[in-house]
Amino acid sequence: MFLYFLRRLGLMVFTLFGVSIAIFLLLRIAPGNIADILFDSAGMIDPAEKQKIISDLGLDQPLVIQYLHWLNGLVHGDFGYSYVSEKPVLQEVLPRIPITARLALLAILFAVCTGVPVGVVSAVRQNSAIDYVLRVFSLAALSMPAFWLGLLVLMAFVNWAGVLPIYDQAPDSLWAALLMFGVPAATVGLRSSALIMRLTRSSMLEVMRQDYIRTARSKGLSEPAVTFIHALRNAMLPVITTIGVETAFLFGGLVVTETVFNIPGVARFLVEAIRWRDYPMVQNLVMFIATVVVAVNLLVDLTYAIVDPRIRLGS
Amino acid sequence: MSELIYLARRYPLGVAGGLILVVFVFVAIFANAIAPLDPLTTNPKASLAPPGNTYLLGADMMGRDVLSRLIHGARISLAVALGATLIGSGLGALLGLASGYVGGWFDLVVQRLAEIMQSLPLLVMALVITASLGPSLTNTIIAIAIPLIPNVARVIRANVLSLRELNYVEAARAIGMRNSRIALLHVMPNTLAPLIVLATAQLGSTILTEASLSFLGLGVPEPYPSWGRMLSESAAEYMRSAPWLVIFPGVAISLVVFGANLFGDALRDYLDPRMGD
Amino acid sequence: MRGSRLFGAAAILCGLLAPGFASVAMTQQQGGTLRVTHRDNPPSASILEEATISTDMPFMAVFNNLVVFDPESPVNRLDRIVPDLATSWAWSDDNRTLTFQLHHNVTWHDGKPFTSADVKCTWDMLTGKTDSKLRKNPRKTWWFNIKDVATDGDDKVVFHLKDPQPSIMAMFASGFAPVYPCHVPANQMRTHPIGTGPFMFKEFKQNESIKLVRNPNYWKPGKPYLDAIEYTIIPNRATMVLAMVTGKFNLTFTGELTPQLMKDIQQQAPSLQCVMQSTNTQGNLLVNRERPPFDNPLIRKAMTLAIDRKAFSDILSQGAYPVGGANLPPPEGFWGWSKEYMETVPGYGADVEKSREEARKIMRSLGYGPDHLLPLKVTTRNIQDYRDAAVILIDHLKTIYIQAELEPIDTSVWYARLLRKDFSVAMNIQGTGTDDPDVQFFENYLCGSERNYTSYCNPELEKKFHEQSMMQDIDARRKLVWEIDKQLQEDGARPVVFFAEAGTCWWPRVHGIRIARNTIYNHWRFEDVWLDQ
Repeated sequence: MFLYFLRRLGLMVFTLFGVSIAIFLLLRIAPGNIADILFDSAGMIDPAEKQKIISDLGLDQPLVIQYLHWLNGLVHGDFGYSYVSEKPVLQEVLPRIPITARLALLAILFAVCTGVPVGVVSAVRQNSAIDYVLRVFSLAALSMPAFWLGLLVLMAFVNWAGVLPIYDQAPDSLWAALLMFGVPAATVGLRSSALIMRLTRSSMLEVMRQDYIRTARSKGLSEPAVTFIHALRNAMLPVITTIGVETAFLFGGLVVTETVFNIPGVARFLVEAIRWRDYPMVQNLVMFIATVVVAVNLLVDLTYAIVDPRIRLGS
Repeated sequence: MSELIYLARRYPLGVAGGLILVVFVFVAIFANAIAPLDPLTTNPKASLAPPGNTYLLGADMMGRDVLSRLIHGARISLAVALGATLIGSGLGALLGLASGYVGGWFDLVVQRLAEIMQSLPLLVMALVITASLGPSLTNTIIAIAIPLIPNVARVIRANVLSLRELNYVEAARAIGMRNSRIALLHVMPNTLAPLIVLATAQLGSTILTEASLSFLGLGVPEPYPSWGRMLSESAAEYMRSAPWLVIFPGVAISLVVFGANLFGDALRDYLDPRMGD
Repeated sequence: MRGSRLFGAAAILCGLLAPGFASVAMTQQQGGTLRVTHRDNPPSASILEEATISTDMPFMAVFNNLVVFDPESPVNRLDRIVPDLATSWAWSDDNRTLTFQLHHNVTWHDGKPFTSADVKCTWDMLTGKTDSKLRKNPRKTWWFNIKDVATDGDDKVVFHLKDPQPSIMAMFASGFAPVYPCHVPANQMRTHPIGTGPFMFKEFKQNESIKLVRNPNYWKPGKPYLDAIEYTIIPNRATMVLAMVTGKFNLTFTGELTPQLMKDIQQQAPSLQCVMQSTNTQGNLLVNRERPPFDNPLIRKAMTLAIDRKAFSDILSQGAYPVGGANLPPPEGFWGWSKEYMETVPGYGADVEKSREEARKIMRSLGYGPDHLLPLKVTTRNIQDYRDAAVILIDHLKTIYIQAELEPIDTSVWYARLLRKDFSVAMNIQGTGTDDPDVQFFENYLCGSERNYTSYCNPELEKKFHEQSMMQDIDARRKLVWEIDKQLQEDGARPVVFFAEAGTCWWPRVHGIRIARNTIYNHWRFEDVWLDQ
């Protein structure tokens, strides 16, 4: 177990190293750099001034030097300065992380709280009308663009409630935060909820066919007890799987949801940073996201081993 | 015929999904003949015209017919869905096949590369790639296809690994068949089923990714009337007074993705009942 | 702070009593936070270094100018300029020396005194005299005529000009010409600006918000009335419209509501007050006169004749966008052609079909026709407004045997492309900081000037640029400006297609907003604005 963990940790570092090269190169291929964009907003270009910015930021140095410089900074915990705001990257990013984290956690919470029960009902009533309806609903939820759903939700709120659930200033209480993040979290979590529902249903069906359920039944346990105590424990696996698979995917949904609901989180910020070719910002943000994704996946794999001893590690 | 009826009985949802896809492909192919008006012609008098006789589904801010744009937009969505899925699944399958069969250091490299790609969110990768390549239909397809590769490669690889140990592959090897021949003749056909299932499952998500990219201002540029583009920018601004601009393209996207998902689900049950649900 | 809250309470009390005393109801109330939507993350907080309204509008209230355009006048005019930091100004007899008398006892937000040295320092920086601390200086051409700036004691500053230039007052009065403090480094001005203005910078969170607070020691007694101004950055326009309609904000960002959107938002909330303004942007056609076949003036002329300007205005704005030459036409603008004069300019006549017939004749004489179309790419920036205009342009070129295709260019390399003259035909939307012929002509049409993307060069006309610039009589000058403008359009220097307009809206509880119709860049100091609470 410990050796396995060490090996995985090593691989994780290797993966992140690869990510750093990939994002570094991809960004350099993109046309234009920060100097172009700064002058773009000013509607002019003065070649001398432009050259000065480029050399001040070290963008005229060979790519390898630039890369090593960044990597060296990363290792020493120095994330550099944002090209646009000229503030330390950390100072720009840190306050945004809790916002996105809160949104993501609420979304997953929503997904689990709705996905699991619906999946269980669907499995218990397999092939009934309600099963069909729920399955069609879950597929429909997987088919809607997140930003479109967001727009419709906003429109519905304005039309019927006369309020607009967008982020306009930092919430001052837990209740206010819940209200503010609840609607966007549900919007972005709907997809994950549908996935969890489908996986819960299928694993429930498999489990219900198995022997020990039959044994439990024959021992005289009542039907609901059988379902909820024995079977539900097995629904944990799909939930964990989904969380693993969805961390990366959820982030994509967050990009558009944060845009529609005007939430100043990491995801929207990343899009903006790409637009500005703010290399230090994009590189470090992407590294951060990749680290989260890789770490969550590692955790998921470890949890697997704990929850289900049948899964052997290291294979 | 009787088989069709059997299928419709056995997989009613799948057949419904298939029908949606057939209609979608038909509309995309014959867009020129079906569309009542030119999708690009502007008309100041029809700006934000509500659904009615001339403009069945209304008109946008520049007075262009929403229905005709939707019909022509089907082409873009089809091109993106097919293009990205084919490129992504094709490359992914080749890589997976090779890495599973060849093994060794090659396998190791491919696996690590796949891991690297998978640790980046799909939309983020597509975003960076479209920004790098510039806005065009081809580049959008490439940007959406690349993130699909690792997933496909890994599934196919796992499949190949299990096949490698099967008797008839061993037998082929025993009679001295060359490795590439074995891979092509025996292993590949057997990975086809999971490949098709995987590809169909991804059809829908490519359309959704294109829509999201267009919404963020990247993706397929004008004058192509892409569905995602129709939903973004000026359309959404008028969503309270001209809801048809927001509702119809969104419904079109959702419907086609829904069809693809229904169809993909049924196909999976049919081809490989062990694989899930 | 506590004091101001007390004051606020008193103001609320006044507000409650107000209905009984009609006259009292209109006196300014102290307090409250003005909440404004913002369209986009500003590149920095330094007005002198930026040319975008995203920086200009929110940060103008931090600063003061030497002089400003009279807010009482609905059109910014050269003859309606009033004092700000300068108490008065005087021209020398030869009109080459301009002396400003400055306010005494003005302090910067950090407590340091404001003196004439700050003024000198600011313009030395803008004219490139001092080793520029600015990262970029987009309006250097505005100040080309300044020979040097001298101080005369702490309260007097003297500008020496190379030639007489009455229009320089219009630039001093522009929102883009605030006075900067000498003692604050340029990079701090980009992140935490210090000014003398009615509001002090509090915080700027990238992509999130900009917050200003009342300057308690503002040198204009009793002002400002608001406690704070908060801008929330909402790049998604659909979300912004909903937020405005539901009353989350008091004021929309300026220049953001297209004419149709403004109509739409007013229908949703009829009590909103809206004003339509020129956004100081014009759509124009760039034809690269160095690239064949466009080196042939005949083709350029034919293209000019094919443009139906009214159709552009109708499609893009339901007819709200005015049509004119290089200068913004009346009633919004001051220097543009009158309606009657415009009729005399080729390509501006009412009969488009006639012009296009003439254009087709030219094209046929060059060997083009229905069977031999001229293929070309219309290059444009990959932004909605640009693309919409380019799509219409392509439609119009079709009528004269030109088969054009759209080439959208990533916005990050757009200016670099223009500068390299790497295009044949481009649809451009160009901003001009102030409605003044000097700015228009010298920036865009001077031989070899940086922003002269089409390399237009007419030395004869250039003499007239200088001639009009030195004229003291406004009416006579306007006549000459019309002639120059006509010549520019006849030469097809940079055919002007439309002038964009946009709306700004606020709820009736906001009082004291006075804006001009020919600019979005001025009058955002908010020192007279107050909230009905």
